[in-house]
Amino acid sequence: MPAGSPGPAAQSARRPPPLLPLLLFCVLGAPQAGSGADTAVISPQDPTLLIGSSLQATCSVHGDTPGATAEGLYWTLNGRRLPPELSRMLNASTLALALANLNGSRQQSGDNLVCHARDGSILAGSCLYVGLPPEKPFNISCWSKNMKDLTCRWTPGAHGETFLHTNYSLKYKLRWYGQDNTCEEYHTVGPHSCHIPKDLALFTPYEIWVEATNRLGSARSDVLTLDILDVVTTDPPPDVHVSRVGGLEDQLSVRWVSPPALKDFLFQAKYQIRYRVEDSVDWKVVDDVSNQTSCRLAGLKPGTVYFVQVRCNPFGIYGSKKAGIWSEWSHPTAASTPRSERPGPGGGACEPRGSEPSSGPVRRELKQFLGWLKKHAYCSNLSFRLYDQWRAWMQKSHKTRNQDEGILPSGRRGAARGPAR
Amino acid sequence: MSRREGSLEDPQADSSVSPLPHLEAKIQQTHSLARLLTKYAEQLLQEYVQHQGDPFGLPGFSPPRPPVAGLSAPAPGHAGLPVPERLRLDAAALAVLPPLLDVVRRRQAELNPRAARLLRRLEDAARQARALGAAVEAVLGALGAETGGPRAEPATAAAAAIAAAATGGVFPAKVLGLRVCSLYLEWVSRTEADLGQLAPGGPA
Repeated sequence: MPAGSPGPAAQSARRPPPLLPLLLFCVLGAPQAGSGADTAVISPQDPTLLIGSSLQATCSVHGDTPGATAEGLYWTLNGRRLPPELSRMLNASTLALALANLNGSRQQSGDNLVCHARDGSILAGSCLYVGLPPEKPFNISCWSKNMKDLTCRWTPGAHGETFLHTNYSLKYKLRWYGQDNTCEEYHTVGPHSCHIPKDLALFTPYEIWVEATNRLGSARSDVLTLDILDVVTTDPPPDVHVSRVGGLEDQLSVRWVSPPALKDFLFQAKYQIRYRVEDSVDWKVVDDVSNQTSCRLAGLKPGTVYFVQVRCNPFGIYGSKKAGIWSEWSHPTAASTPRSERPGPGGGACEPRGSEPSSGPVRRELKQFLGWLKKHAYCSNLSFRLYDQWRAWMQKSHKTRNQDEGILPSGRRGAARGPAR
Repeated sequence: MSRREGSLEDPQADSSVSPLPHLEAKIQQTHSLARLLTKYAEQLLQEYVQHQGDPFGLPGFSPPRPPVAGLSAPAPGHAGLPVPERLRLDAAALAVLPPLLDVVRRRQAELNPRAARLLRRLEDAARQARALGAAVEAVLGALGAETGGPRAEPATAAAAAIAAAATGGVFPAKVLGLRVCSLYLEWVSRTEADLGQLAPGGPA
């Protein structure tokens, strides 16, 4: 029987189907729709082929079937009738088919090539697997949550489209000794990811790679070498609280707790804060918050609700020199700035990037002035803190004059009489 | 209780200790279960044909219907049988189906490894067929009808036969899986109809 003529790397016809038990299939007299009989056989059965290759197939009607002849037989591929010019009768009981320049398989279970009798009934079928061998996976990245596990992600080569089911296997081993291990928990953070939940060593490098295999071949990624301690991330900081700063209309105070899983190790942790106005999608980021668990946001709009999030980077764990990996952001926490009769200028300990332009030049000039004063005048205790106190006192005085509220902000009982000296 | 086929009326029973309401509830419950599983079986069939590719699922697709050892479709005369006999046949078929569905699931795990929903539906169908079969047997027992006894042998033989066939060519395996899913749908919907005859409000 003529076999397919696949490309050089392809595997040709699979093993022929085994003899089916008589319990299950009966060869009936004449092919009938719904009879359940394989009254013909297609060769090759379930071939695997490269995209662009050709296939020669035959449909041979069983000789013992009365009236069995190739006359009137036709082919369909995935339910579509193939042009008659692609077929020819080899002999009285065999119809041949020639397909060229095959496209990739439409479904992973294989393209359905079917041989039909004249009346349309199905005589036999064969599934074609047309695709590409896998390319080398790349861009492996891994992280460890609290030094307890390891999750890795990778990009499949050729953007993953091989048209065939391709199996990806993440392998790992200790660099200096030990055997290859295979990751078992796949698709944990996306289709090309795997999670190793336990039994990982610290202070010693691992080698990690990905093997891709399908019917047409296999490929292996480059090896990534890492120490678990260099890729540690952690949980978002818990207990994030956002509150007003006394009566200051343009400031909010943010406090949080070190992530508990690593709190005994976070000597050099970095934090980042981001915040946005309630009905905006644009986040502003404060990223110069090193190893402290509070920060003040300044330059905010009065009478506005803000959402705030914090995340942690546990770099420097056990002396690691690597950059560390940021945690997820904490759940958003909301708070509102006090209302104001007039817009207030910006100011505060955690100056955000991209703060309102109207406060930027004022504060820059003030900073320069204060710096000059310290050098050239005897006002060594001048600082932004003093400036903020003065602003709070000014706002308070303004409210008292116009609204007669008479409520002092906490901790500033002396502010009504002027800034502290 | 009256032994008239399909009837639950027993005017001489003491209603305060009559098991009738309990039996009616059981029948109603099993009927509802069969109705639900019929819907699931339809969804399973749709999901199955989708993953095998055309022509499976195309209108007018008329695949071969290979006989499956130990299980055939409900006979044309099934609806004319007495209800307990119908239910016995239903229970027998439901007992054979789970291992067949398991074999189909295993083969589909090789052919369509990423079809998580299909694989889950096949797994659920095996479990649900088992549950419905047990519920039908319980109804038969409550009706005082013979249940036909354990059916491990036919189920095992059917599963062994289909497993052998399923390791052959891919196309025949697809066709066989379609046959099993179709039989599953036929038998759960048949069971639903047969229980409907017994359920309160159904024909006597």
